[in-house]
Amino acid sequence: MTVISAPTAPRRTWKNTALGRFFSSPRSVLGAGLLTLFVLLALLAPVLTPYRPNSMEFDAFMGFSAQHPLGTTALGQDIFAQFVYGARLTLLVGFVAGLIATFLSVTFGLAAAYFGGRIDEAINTLINVFLVLPGLPLIIVAAAFIRGGGVWPVILVIGLTGWAFGARVLRSQALALRERDFIAAAVVSGEGALRIIFVEMLPNMAGLIAANFFGAALYAVLSEAALSFIGVGDVSQVTWGTMLYWAQAKGALLQGAWWWVALPGLSIALLGTSFAFLNFAVDEISNPRLAGGRLNLPSRVPAAVAAPVAGDALLSITGLDVGYAAPTGVVRAVRDVTLDVQPGELLGVAGESGCGKSTLAFAATRLLDPPGGVLGGSVRLAGRDLLALSPEELRRVRWKEFSIVFQASMNVLNPVLTIREQVYDAMQAHGVTDRDRLNTRARELFDLVGIQTSYLDAYPHQLSGGMKQRVVIAIALALEPKLIVMDEPTTALDVVVQRQILQEINAVRKRLGISIIFITHDLSLLVEMSDRVAIMYAGEVVELAPAHRLYAHPAHPYTQQLMNSFPPMTGPRTRRSGIPGRPPSLSAEIIGCPFFERCNTRMPGVCDVQPLQTFPVAENQTAACFLYDPAVPAAVKESAVKDSADRAGVVRAGAVRDSQTVLATRPRPSSPGGES
Amino acid sequence: MIQPEAAISTDPEAVPHTLEIVGLRKVFGARGNAGGVVAVNDVSFSIARGEVLGLVGESGSGKSTIARLIAHLHTPTAGEIRVNGQPVPARLRGAALRHFRRQVQMIFQDPYASLNPLHPVRYTLSRPLKIHRLSRGTMDAQIGALLERVGLAPASTYASKRSFELSGGQRQRVGIARALAASPDLILADEPTSALDVSIRLDVMNLMLDLKDQEGLSMLFITHDLAGARYMSDRVAVLYAGTLVEIGPATEVIDRPQHPYTQLLKSAAPKPDAGLVPEEIAARGEVPDLKALPPGCPFEPRCPHAMPECRSGLPQMYDVGHGHTARCLLHDPAIRLNRGGAVGAG
Repeated sequence: MTVISAPTAPRRTWKNTALGRFFSSPRSVLGAGLLTLFVLLALLAPVLTPYRPNSMEFDAFMGFSAQHPLGTTALGQDIFAQFVYGARLTLLVGFVAGLIATFLSVTFGLAAAYFGGRIDEAINTLINVFLVLPGLPLIIVAAAFIRGGGVWPVILVIGLTGWAFGARVLRSQALALRERDFIAAAVVSGEGALRIIFVEMLPNMAGLIAANFFGAALYAVLSEAALSFIGVGDVSQVTWGTMLYWAQAKGALLQGAWWWVALPGLSIALLGTSFAFLNFAVDEISNPRLAGGRLNLPSRVPAAVAAPVAGDALLSITGLDVGYAAPTGVVRAVRDVTLDVQPGELLGVAGESGCGKSTLAFAATRLLDPPGGVLGGSVRLAGRDLLALSPEELRRVRWKEFSIVFQASMNVLNPVLTIREQVYDAMQAHGVTDRDRLNTRARELFDLVGIQTSYLDAYPHQLSGGMKQRVVIAIALALEPKLIVMDEPTTALDVVVQRQILQEINAVRKRLGISIIFITHDLSLLVEMSDRVAIMYAGEVVELAPAHRLYAHPAHPYTQQLMNSFPPMTGPRTRRSGIPGRPPSLSAEIIGCPFFERCNTRMPGVCDVQPLQTFPVAENQTAACFLYDPAVPAAVKESAVKDSADRAGVVRAGAVRDSQTVLATRPRPSSPGGES
Repeated sequence: MIQPEAAISTDPEAVPHTLEIVGLRKVFGARGNAGGVVAVNDVSFSIARGEVLGLVGESGSGKSTIARLIAHLHTPTAGEIRVNGQPVPARLRGAALRHFRRQVQMIFQDPYASLNPLHPVRYTLSRPLKIHRLSRGTMDAQIGALLERVGLAPASTYASKRSFELSGGQRQRVGIARALAASPDLILADEPTSALDVSIRLDVMNLMLDLKDQEGLSMLFITHDLAGARYMSDRVAVLYAGTLVEIGPATEVIDRPQHPYTQLLKSAAPKPDAGLVPEEIAARGEVPDLKALPPGCPFEPRCPHAMPECRSGLPQMYDVGHGHTARCLLHDPAIRLNRGGAVGAG
């Protein structure tokens, strides 16, 4: 049994924790600061002022003085006392009504999502009814009926009417969670409904619920202010809203006591702002993608002007370095990659997830978005440096000179336009406007990729996944580009449809003489269809060889081990082993060979010390492996290969003991040492 | 060497099969008698103790639905499921449900989605032990033993981790450990390796085979990959549009497929060991709409050997020898006589 070494934990710096993210955002700090200030005012009211907010023992409209820092009202109340005591009730309304509304939202939203069926339908109807009822007028009517009794009726009315929007949001979030496999896994483990709702689902919605709470509290504070201002509710209570009511009723502005209006009004606005900021901050923490912090990448260092020796190459990528800016530093996803594509050639690029193959495709076609960026190198298509083109020049070249087909590209089809309009679109953008020519070309293209032309007038949803992918390939062919970059174009498709599409791609390529870069994780597929294959590992091209050569004599130990990782379709059923371990982190500097840790023929003292280079192995075959370095003594190489054979023997013996089955191992495709 | 094939016992006195499903059917979205998607159409098979049955099919063939029906995540529209010889009632509650959950466990396809990102590995593995009251000694020691059994050593390092701190292969090992925690008799593995990188797949498959050998587990291994099914399974069943079209020993079904659909599937699959020349396939059309299945054989509209007879009712399963059956009229003795030949092995 393979034992995988423990991974090193990702660095958990302060900034990476939820609290750290909270405090590093100016919005959340401002929101929390304001709220804290108001809460302190409310709590410390008796300390801050000696007066009761309702005692009318003073003269009316007194100005600022030491006794009355903010003067008095028309009724002879101390404005500062009213302000700090008013904060108490206003905050109470916000928090309690927010809690009631959030509690109702969570209960109804989760119950609807978890139980589904009739219960869901009933709750959903209720939600919709509450959503179409106009909120504030409903509150006014309800509050008008229950006059008096302090601030509680207002709280109840706001809480009971303000939950519907939150419930709808939480319901859809919970429905999405309900479909996740970890919920099914909990059911299969035997967990009960309550535990699944409260321990598996609810914590995953904590961010949304908190955001919902702040939203509801904001709504409650504003509603209370509005209600009090128009005199609905209990105006004998001191809240910021009733302060506004009395200030308005007693003509504060006419008397020049503008601060009587401004202070509660501004405070309500600030409290609302703090709730809104906190709502946003919580959203940002639970969904880091929203944070969108700008991270800077060093700008590109163009490769030294490559002498146009390989003048016959259609595309030449030279020393391409691509990185992603991450909080912990730059992740170098593509490292010094040099590749070229000949006219009419199908170049396969294979590698596992995270090896940089898709990043390479995005960078070479100028589709890389921030936080990704090209750090160095050049990409020349027919002699033109693609990385140096202006956006307008790029627009003219893209699709005419090269086009791109992606894995999920069937999702790029616009669902409300017919296929015909979308096929025309690319051609029209490049100046073909004649309807007859467009029609003829569209029909030609559909014949080429094997779809009946009657589908031109269908909408995307009427087509299967395989047909949509064919449409996308047809669009990519529309302007007869010289090069098509295909990134896992058939991975999402079933094997039969995949085979049909590959046959068509190959036929089209032969007929039109275009070049294709075909990127996939499926090496066995690639070996069947490519002229040459590049194997990528940890951002580097570790082997480049003609497909038949790579199949018969893989040179790099990674290629060899990868080829051996596919279970065979013929011959005796035997145990094989995969590649232990995992690729190195791309955010760290890799010294020596990136495959060293997992390699079965590594040479300590060489591979983990010397800077990696690419060495020729045979004609047209290169490998980034020190086994092919003429400077490394033959004895060192031989002992590495011998050790590997010995280790394989030990593994075999272990496997026999484990499973009590006699297993044979397939002889390795070639002996790597023997090639050099 | 070829792994020993489980004898398919017909002796009623013998140990009951871990799983038998008979005439299983699932229709989604049917209102009254009208329409609906027929996801699983009258499927029957059994899995003997210690046997791995590979269930192969393309997307929409109903293979995952079958696993979810067996796992009691969906309720069958018709048919019977028997676990260890005992019929599983359509409505399970309380102690009976717990007992059932202990016998049947599941491994999910996407290790990124099947672990709750908020819970550490320790919590995930402790739940089955607590629910099924299986604590022996200290919980930590038991969790440690589970982790080491699935190759995650040292266990103490992994127990405190959350899923986002683990690689895909490690997550899937945790998923396997969770399934093992209840010491089930049957594991339903729903494409457990298709979300993993090629270099990691084999080790996860080897782990499952080792555990099966050590514990005598029965396993339903669902996959769309014929080579993977061949590597893992004692027997293989092929599904097309919700219908079982072929079943038999793995090397029989995959090396000598007898149903035209299995032959198509095999010729379309990339063959890492079969040389450089891809096979040309000549399939027409695509998988039929599950709301409006063809009247006879579901594969008839695409089948290169289609005959008028194929349209009159679903063909039965014909015995083609070596414990291998296929649902194709080409194996009907009367029709073979007429056509004067057999369908060639793919």
